[in-house]
This record gives sequence, C-alpha cells and structure tokens, in this order.
Amino acid sequence: MGRLLRWYPPSWRARYGEEFGQLLLADIAERPRSWRRAADVAANGLLARCTSAGLTSHELPPLEQVRCGVATLCCALAAFVTFGVAMLAQLAMGWQWATPRSAPAVAASVAMSIAGACLVLIALSGAVPVAWHAAVTAVRRRDGRLMRSAGLMLVSGTVLIIGTRHFQNGWPGTGGTGALHGLVPAGIAAFGWASTLSVSSFWVHPALLGTLPAAELAWMVLSPFAVLGLLAGFAGIVRRLTLPHWLLTYLSRLAMAAVVAAVPFLAGAASWVLATAPGQPGLFRPGLINGAELATMALALVVALRAAIGVRHARSAITEML
Amino acid sequence: MPGRGSRSAEAGAFVSFGRYAGPATLILSSLADGPKHGYALTKDIEQFADVRLAPGTLYEALSRLEGQGLIEALASDDRRRPYQLTAAGAQALRVHLADQRRVAEVGLRRLSRSWGPA
Repeated sequence: MGRLLRWYPPSWRARYGEEFGQLLLADIAERPRSWRRAADVAANGLLARCTSAGLTSHELPPLEQVRCGVATLCCALAAFVTFGVAMLAQLAMGWQWATPRSAPAVAASVAMSIAGACLVLIALSGAVPVAWHAAVTAVRRRDGRLMRSAGLMLVSGTVLIIGTRHFQNGWPGTGGTGALHGLVPAGIAAFGWASTLSVSSFWVHPALLGTLPAAELAWMVLSPFAVLGLLAGFAGIVRRLTLPHWLLTYLSRLAMAAVVAAVPFLAGAASWVLATAPGQPGLFRPGLINGAELATMALALVVALRAAIGVRHARSAITEML
Repeated sequence: MPGRGSRSAEAGAFVSFGRYAGPATLILSSLADGPKHGYALTKDIEQFADVRLAPGTLYEALSRLEGQGLIEALASDDRRRPYQLTAAGAQALRVHLADQRRVAEVGLRRLSRSWGPA
C-alpha cells in the first residue's frame, strides 16, 4: 500500500494519505490483485503531482497556485536553457573553426545567442531578489526546511561552478581560427560547453564513452545531479517562502518574459535542426542528439507555458480578492 | 426558485471537473442522504448505480469537490474521515440533476416517437 501512496505528492499525502490508505486496505481485502486499481492510483497520483506543480486545469488555491506555478515555470525554463546551452555551445564551437555555409545555421546562431543572453539576464533578475528574500527569511525564521533547500541549492551551485570551471579548460574551441569566432565570447562558450557535457550522443555509443578520461566521464554523470540539485533547491525555496505579493507578481512577469524570449531561441534551434542543407562542416551538421535537444526544449516550453497560464489566472483571482 | 444566471453558475460548478464530472455526480448523489467515508461511498455507489469507483478516481473527485466547496470533511476519531454535502453542493447537485433529467426526458420522448415505445 505504501508503494501505491508514493505516486502522490507529499502535500496530498499529508491531507488525504491516512483515509486513502484505509480505503486502499479495504479494496485490497476485497480484490487482492488488481492491475486496474494499480493503474488508477498511478494515473491519479501523477495527476495530483501535476496539479501540485500548477499544471492542470484543476487549480489550487490562488496563492498556492502562483507559488507552485512559478516554481514549475522556473524549472521548465531551466531545463529549456540547459538543453539550449548545450546546442548553442556546439554551434559556438563550430564558429571557432569555420563559418557555416547554410543560412539556417547562421540565423540560428544569431537568434539563439541574443535570446540566450536575454534568458540569462531574466534569470539573474529573478534569482537575485529571491535569494535575498530567502536569506533574510532563513536567518529571521530559522526555518529548517528552507535552510535545507537553500543549502542544497548552494552546494549544487558550487559543485556545478567548480566542476565547470575545471573542465572548461579542455574546451575544444581554444585557439580557433574561424572568421567569426567571437560570436559568443570564448569564455562563455567554454563554460556552456563544460556545464552541459552530459548532454551528449556519447551515451548511446559505449565504445566512444570508453575513450574519455575517467574524470570527464565522472563529470558527465555528476553534473546533471548538480543541475537537478540546483533546481530542486530553488523550487523548494519558492514553494516554502512566503513571498510578498509584489515579488510574486514580479517573478511571474519575468517568467512570462522568459517564455517570450524562449520562442525565438526555439525557432532558431528548429530552423537549424530541421532546415539545414546537407554537406555542412563538422559541428554545423545537426545530428540525432540535436533533434533530441530540440524535442526536450519544445516540451519544456509547453510545460512552462501551461504553468504561466495557471499563474496568470491565479494572479487575476488574487487581484480580484484584493 | 433561482434565476437563469444562478442556474448557470451552479451547473458550471461541474464544468471544471472534466472526466471527473460523472464520479462527482455519483458522490454528491450518494452524500445526499447523509455523510459517508470513502469505503461507504464506494459501496453505496456500487449499489445504486452499479458502478465501482476505483480508489484513485474517488479521491481525485473528492478533492475537487472539496476544493470547490461542494462537500466538506467532518471531524472523526476514526482514520476514515466522513464527508458531507454543503448547501452549495446540494444546490449544484439539484441543478445538475434537473438538467440531466431534462435531457433524458427529451431523448426518451424522441426515441419513443421515432422508434416506438420501449
């Protein structure tokens, strides 16, 4: 029974867990084995998880909806940026050594660079006030759960930055002679490359994986956990903090701006992956991994958009109440 | 007698339920004669509607009904918490069932006219 209950989010279990457990026990006593019951609990548990992330039409109380929606939005956009940076890093590396002979690759590089810079600026504009508010609240309230989320975020961020700084020294773009090798500054391109080393087609080619140095391989395994830790910490802070109304409004507006900025980024990426003519030099030739990156980015953007719509509805409800 | 506008608002309580509108109607109908906990609801619905609501579906519908203020949980010493209909829930159920009856009557009348009496 415990296994079935784990499909549901903690907040749902805290409210309904005990009584739902009693109903499950009675049902199991009548029908000891039932795949339909297991499927029903799994489907509804996942739905409850989507609801608690602000992703369903069945909305939470408005303030909770804004809080959960903003957290989900940030996580979806972070996933978008992670895969987008991996793709942009590949193009930036290509520019170090050659100039693409295809208009979509040029347009994609320019659109993704500008939109990517906007996304980073928007992320920083949101992260700074949240971090400040979280630090002040954690110190004043001595909230253990908040401190754990902040600690997770801090440790994950530190691991990510130190690891990336270390591995960016091995960036293959160093010393490039391409005509436009300054499109993305080399330091930033190298940082993007090293932080997203795990987004690689090497995973489906074990023979190639075996040729990598052990430390690089370890970083490819560890870095996604650092990114996840960073996101989980941030989401935990946003969901546990009682953010003032103005800050929630500011964050939700920033998030909408990020969704808007993500569209040209995705359009640029799609034009490169889907419309590039064959015969491009090395890194400008899109591969299967780029298709997977594009699909993931599109999915993340859909999730972000759904969360943004939920946040907008909830904000309207709060404004009406005020 | 409520006006047209309030009828729409009450019937609209079910709109956001999507595929849970059916289970929600069964639950409200079951609670119409008094409070019940999850298992009692399942058995009662099985008896009067010949439908066995699976536990996950039952609780998703219960949480939506509670979120809309159509039912409320009662305090209990037992682990099985009973639920009861609220005034808003009773009114929403009345309007919803009246709408369903109107549709059923029209359908039966037309069937009988075109296909003969059952």
